[in-house]
Amino acid sequence: MKEQLEALLQEALSELGQASTEEGLQELRVKYLGKKGAVTGLMKGLGALSAEERPLVGQVVNTVKAKLEETLDARTADIRGAVKAQRLAAEKIDVTLPGRKRPLGSKHPITLVTEEICSIFAALGFAVAEGPEIELDFYNFEALNLPKDHPARDMQDTFYFGESVLLRTHTSPVQIRTMLKQPPPVRIIAPGTVYRCDSDATHSPMFHQIEGLMVDKGITFADLKGILTLFISQLFGKDIGVRLRPSFFPFTEPSAEVDIACVICRGKGCRVCKETGWLEILGSGMVDPEVYRHVGYDSEQYTGFAFGMGIERIAMLKYGIADMRLLFENDLRFLKQF
Amino acid sequence: MIVTYNWIKEFVDCDLPAAELSHLLTMLGLEVERMEEVGGGMDDVVVAQVVEKNQHPNADKLSLCKVDNGKEILDVVCGAQNFKAGDKVALAQIGATLPGDFKIKRSKIRGEESCGMLCSEKELALSAESSGIMILPEDFQIGTPLFDALGTKDVIFEIGLTPNRADCLSVVGIAREVAAKLGKKVHYPGLDVNETGAPIGGIASVEILAPELCPRYTARHITGCTLADSPAWLANRLMAAGIRAINNIVDVTNYVLLEYGHPLHAFDFKLLSGGKIVVAAAGEGEKFGTLDGQERELTVTDLTIRDGAKAVALAGIMGGGNSEIGEGTTEVLLESAYFNPSAIRKTSKRLGIHTESSHRFERGADIAGLTRALDRAAQLIAELSGGKVAKGVIDVYPAPVEPRVITARLARINAVSGLALSATEVEDIFRRLEFEVTQTEAGVFQVKVPLFRVDLEREIDLVEEVVRLNGFDKVPATLPQASVFSDLPSDDQRLAAKVKDLLVAHGLNEVINYSFVAPSSCEKILLPQEDLRSNGMVLLNPISDELSVMRTTMLPGLLDTAVKNVSFRTLNLRIFEMRRIYLPVEGEELPQEPLYISALLTGKRDLEGWNQGKDEIDFFDVKGIAENLLSELNVGGVNFSAEDLDPYYHPGKACRILSGKKVLGSLGELHPTVQENYGIATPLYYLELNFEALLACRKKQGAAQVPSRFPSTFRDIAMLLPRELPVADVISCVNGVKAPELEGVEIFDLYMGGNIASHEKSVAIRVRYGSKERTLTDDEVTRLHQRVIDALQKKLNVSFR
Repeated sequence: MKEQLEALLQEALSELGQASTEEGLQELRVKYLGKKGAVTGLMKGLGALSAEERPLVGQVVNTVKAKLEETLDARTADIRGAVKAQRLAAEKIDVTLPGRKRPLGSKHPITLVTEEICSIFAALGFAVAEGPEIELDFYNFEALNLPKDHPARDMQDTFYFGESVLLRTHTSPVQIRTMLKQPPPVRIIAPGTVYRCDSDATHSPMFHQIEGLMVDKGITFADLKGILTLFISQLFGKDIGVRLRPSFFPFTEPSAEVDIACVICRGKGCRVCKETGWLEILGSGMVDPEVYRHVGYDSEQYTGFAFGMGIERIAMLKYGIADMRLLFENDLRFLKQF
Repeated sequence: MIVTYNWIKEFVDCDLPAAELSHLLTMLGLEVERMEEVGGGMDDVVVAQVVEKNQHPNADKLSLCKVDNGKEILDVVCGAQNFKAGDKVALAQIGATLPGDFKIKRSKIRGEESCGMLCSEKELALSAESSGIMILPEDFQIGTPLFDALGTKDVIFEIGLTPNRADCLSVVGIAREVAAKLGKKVHYPGLDVNETGAPIGGIASVEILAPELCPRYTARHITGCTLADSPAWLANRLMAAGIRAINNIVDVTNYVLLEYGHPLHAFDFKLLSGGKIVVAAAGEGEKFGTLDGQERELTVTDLTIRDGAKAVALAGIMGGGNSEIGEGTTEVLLESAYFNPSAIRKTSKRLGIHTESSHRFERGADIAGLTRALDRAAQLIAELSGGKVAKGVIDVYPAPVEPRVITARLARINAVSGLALSATEVEDIFRRLEFEVTQTEAGVFQVKVPLFRVDLEREIDLVEEVVRLNGFDKVPATLPQASVFSDLPSDDQRLAAKVKDLLVAHGLNEVINYSFVAPSSCEKILLPQEDLRSNGMVLLNPISDELSVMRTTMLPGLLDTAVKNVSFRTLNLRIFEMRRIYLPVEGEELPQEPLYISALLTGKRDLEGWNQGKDEIDFFDVKGIAENLLSELNVGGVNFSAEDLDPYYHPGKACRILSGKKVLGSLGELHPTVQENYGIATPLYYLELNFEALLACRKKQGAAQVPSRFPSTFRDIAMLLPRELPVADVISCVNGVKAPELEGVEIFDLYMGGNIASHEKSVAIRVRYGSKERTLTDDEVTRLHQRVIDALQKKLNVSFR
């Protein structure tokens, strides 16, 4: 009987080795271990053995059975693995095909730069103020110490609707409106759209400015330099060179243009900076006492500074845009880059 | 303002190299915008002598020359004919670079080798025109670089002057600034006039009839002048400044104008009737022929210089053709006067004449120093033309102006600047600027400002002078001491940024159009004439007619942008613009400027690609954006109405957006006629929302909802409805069933056509039931669902499928 079992095991193992599908294995399981299977049949024969032989043969039967089950499980796992590997190989895709994309929106570079500048000044405690784009002569010129027939009005080619109604040429009227509305201290920033009748590669009839104003007791020109230097280092990086140079605006005195080291040539001199190594990015100065007179502030008690910058200019420097007109052509092939 | 390096150095001892001087000027507020070397980098152009001149064997018009450059004899082919052997000429040698980046190389011309080029004035940028090559004086040394030999090596500075600095519209003015910065004195040229003529009193007379417009008029007389070309040194300097040389008399007035900044005028004295000058207002409608050959019509506010009979100059702006210096002039009356700045400005603006002279007078000339310019010019004219200067000066100056005295406090200077200067330092700065200073008490200065500084009137002006001359680079950078509190950005500002973020999240690209549009734009979007929006504010001086009306709706700008992009074959567009429109208000000077959210979509919904959907954008895409936006901004009572649509919409595919009864905006497909007017092939979908109106309709943010911990159950209903019945009625009917377990309802299918009768549509909804306390039993859900079915049947009379 023992020999019979050994022969059966060898036969079964050989068949298991040849089976190549899960179904085949299942058939073999039934053939050997099923209710009518060969091993089961042998086990039924145990009853005919003597009491001494029975446990010995029984042990052999169990060993054979265990061996068969173990082999069956292992073969099943093998075949399943092989089938899965085959399926996976068949499922291979071309990963170089482009993915499925949702359309992505974009903000205009002018919006991006405006938001960035406002957030820097928000961190410095400046609140955002706004004013109308269609303005009265009084707020745009008169109260800013630019009386009628002042030569400095030539600096700003103005669009008019009538004698005293115009498109604001700068965001400075927001200063006046703010100061007329509230007593000092004042700490505001005013982004907005402005207009001048001028149109070429570096001028657009409509453009954007950000105006800043800080008025309090004890504010100095040195504070102006400190705030603007800090701002520029936030916007253009810590190592960028900054210089203030004397200039003239009717509504500030002393007045300063603020230059940064050319971001293109790093100060060596190139076409963008007209070989000077410097780029003008800001106009600024101490608020002129004449402006305080118009808004009813006491210029002996309060001092302060104002500054203004062109957003297009900064956007052009930040994004390496050579022609300002690109910013207003609304070509989506351009705008989608931002 | 153009000055040159050598010219400045005539007036001040300055050993700074040109680049450093340029920096010094810029940091004084006299910004050097352009620096150009004259003759710089052209040392390879040398003085040479023509040794032989022979006919070129292969070309009639060329000659073959042997030229001596001091080191060797070179073969040079030349096309000009105006020279002979022995002439000294300008030779550009191999390696030289001429203006216009023209490099000289060894070359073969018609088979003959040429080792350089003989140059004309024009090729060397020494003049605008020239005929033939430049013939140099015989005494020039062979081999010397040409510009050294000419003595014209110089550096031109173009200074962008701010309008307040009238005193720096001259070489002397700029030298004065350099001297002040370096702590040096200006060398004013000697002004001894060699008066060899008869006393002027017997020759000419001056009368001022308008002293408020002309507070001072001075004149000199020169006789026996011979008109000729000016010498090269003078002509070259005029050329550097961009002024054309004319003759030795006119050129002197221009030269002195550049040198002293004071405009002068020279009359041909023989053409002055009665030998006299009368300064008076023009007659109304008086015709006057200016030097430029134009006839001008004058008015009574224009100031004229007249002789005994007629106007001879437009005061301070331009002379008249009738008294011009020209061939035959021998006697000159030279004018140096002061004219009222705003009067000059008015006339110059009205007539559109802007001259070197008017530019200076309207910014304010030096009323005290004008005789210096007069003397300097008289002396130069006499020297250059061989004339005799009459004895004495006519000086009509009825009310002499005293220099202004301004009080300046040291404490104020330091308080404004943030510097810590001492009284001595401040006093030194004032003196360097040629101000007279006294200290009446410690730290209080009385500063007498010379009359050429018309820009200095107040203490703050002197504060600026001190900080400027001391150097902006010496100002420390400090941070202000300020109260800690500051306003955070307001809700409106925060939400405006949020709207843009949401639109970007929906795949829209932001555009910025000009705020002004073409007058025809409202007609193109079918707005009738009587619509308020067809009557936008009109610019008096637009850039062009296409940009002449302030927009009253965002639509035309977006359409223009769409057209432009379609022309670049960008056919799928999702754009938005959030900016202001300008609506005139009856009886108000200023319009309303409401902020609008607007968007325009057309083309394919998805990006184009191998595996992307090919569906076209439709009404519901743009409506979905609006719904998301309003919901994210928490706008309450939102409803949509198909009534009262703007004419630019498709009448059946658009709606107004309301909150309760308040109109917030509209959206929909644009009218096919609008689409045709703009020539776009695909249907366009537009959205506009008034941002401020929307803000006013925001609900308070409620407490956050805790989601149920138990699963919900869904039940579907398919029904047939009359085609005209809005689906919104179905939804509100379902929502009208008051049961806390009814959690929501959505439409998941809509079908028309096929086996559905043409007056009906099939709608399928999915209702969601749930409870926060427990999982609902099947029975409970069935009972609830039956209530919904009953409601639909009772209220809408639908039939279920």
